[in-house]
Amino acid sequence: MNVARKMVRWGQRKSPWILHFNTGACNACDIEIIAALTPRFDLERFGVLLKGTPRHCDIMACSGPVTRQIESRLVRIYEQVPEPKLVVAVGSCATSGGVFNGLYNVKGGIDQVIPVAAYIPGCPASPQAIIDGFAKLLKTLEEGK
Amino acid sequence: MTVGSAVLNILVFPGFLFLVAFGLAGEFVDRKLYARLQNRQGPPWYQPLADFLKLLGKENVIPEGADRPTFRLAPVFALAAVVASIFYIPLGSTTSVLPFEGDLIVVLYLLVIPTVAFFLGGWTSRSVFATIGAFRAITQVFAYEIPLFVALLAPALLANTWSISGIAAYYAGHPWLWLVNLLGFGVALVSLLGKLEKVPFDTPEAETEIVAGSFIEYSGRRLAFFRLAIDCEAIVGASLVAAVFLPFGLGLTPVLGILVYVAKVLLILGILALLRTLFARLRIDQMVHFCWSVVAPIAFLQILINLVVRELI
Ligand code: SF4
Repeated sequence: MNVARKMVRWGQRKSPWILHFNTGACNACDIEIIAALTPRFDLERFGVLLKGTPRHCDIMACSGPVTRQIESRLVRIYEQVPEPKLVVAVGSCATSGGVFNGLYNVKGGIDQVIPVAAYIPGCPASPQAIIDGFAKLLKTLEEGK
Repeated sequence: MTVGSAVLNILVFPGFLFLVAFGLAGEFVDRKLYARLQNRQGPPWYQPLADFLKLLGKENVIPEGADRPTFRLAPVFALAAVVASIFYIPLGSTTSVLPFEGDLIVVLYLLVIPTVAFFLGGWTSRSVFATIGAFRAITQVFAYEIPLFVALLAPALLANTWSISGIAAYYAGHPWLWLVNLLGFGVALVSLLGKLEKVPFDTPEAETEIVAGSFIEYSGRRLAFFRLAIDCEAIVGASLVAAVFLPFGLGLTPVLGILVYVAKVLLILGILALLRTLFARLRIDQMVHFCWSVVAPIAFLQILINLVVRELI
């Protein structure tokens, strides 16, 4: 790996900008994601910034089960994110479908539709768990996995 | 000027490398201060560099239907105009690299080009939000640009020269005269906030309402260059204001002079960060109203004061 590539890799680890996308959550997980971004928890310590547009983001934080209605939109948003990109499933629903699993309008977890890099369980996942999940994900990137 | 020293000036000091390094450092100072004022830890010192490198490695997306050449060239033009304007601003002494009579006007015009580039980039990217952001950016120009021009012309009137180096030399020769321009200094700071699209004048990018404004469709390298252009514009704008309004420590040795210059720029960036923390975003009509009914009259008052003072001395 040459130096330029190494520097870009380093940048990718140190500056993950996230996009928050609700795929059908009950809203509790979303509130916890927002809580994790408030000054109290201060995710900017790790370089995390919340971005509104998929074009600027590196990590999609998806919460909630994938409903049949949101499925095509989720794929579309995912495709709008420029490479390299990662998806984090926040909450039990995003991980597996959670309490909504088996409903007629629910497809299941996020990984039924798009590839997921990290799962953060919890109903809802607490800000501490979310920060821990992100830190662990960035750590795995460091080890080059 | 020999070819070698010209290349050195363009690429290293005070040109590209110096400006980029100082711009990234300036962004860090701004973000860190902002974070500390909100009682949080804030980003580490290498954060702006990491953001920049990461963006260089991202995929470049050009939206369908966008005007490709304009979309591609807008960030380059923004950055080039900003880097070009540093050559006319004296840093830490009373002469710039290429001083000539009238460079104040040239610099003011060069510093409008980034805003025009934001407008063109947003306009050609065919996103509704970007179009709204682009129009707000151009509306804002009419609000802050005239107070900024007037505020910078007032000291020039007193110094009887249109060159920034000449202004710096004049005020260095008349130590206490800068106190006359304090009103103009305030106006210039407020206008600088508008130029850099910072809170409270960040309506063009207002991420909570129009997502990211003109930059919404930009990704990867081009976004990196736009961000770099804004960082460098902050430095150039602060240097311009420092050269015109804060003429201290200009006769020192080169190294000491540069240190004083850096301190002045950091002071101005600190004030901007403070203002950014204190205020919430204004609506675009409130912003225009504020600039025309409060800021512009103060700028004209400054001209009046300077005309009177000129008659007195
Ligand atoms: S995991 Fe729990 S809190 Fe989160 S969306 Fe599902 S039901 Fe709501």
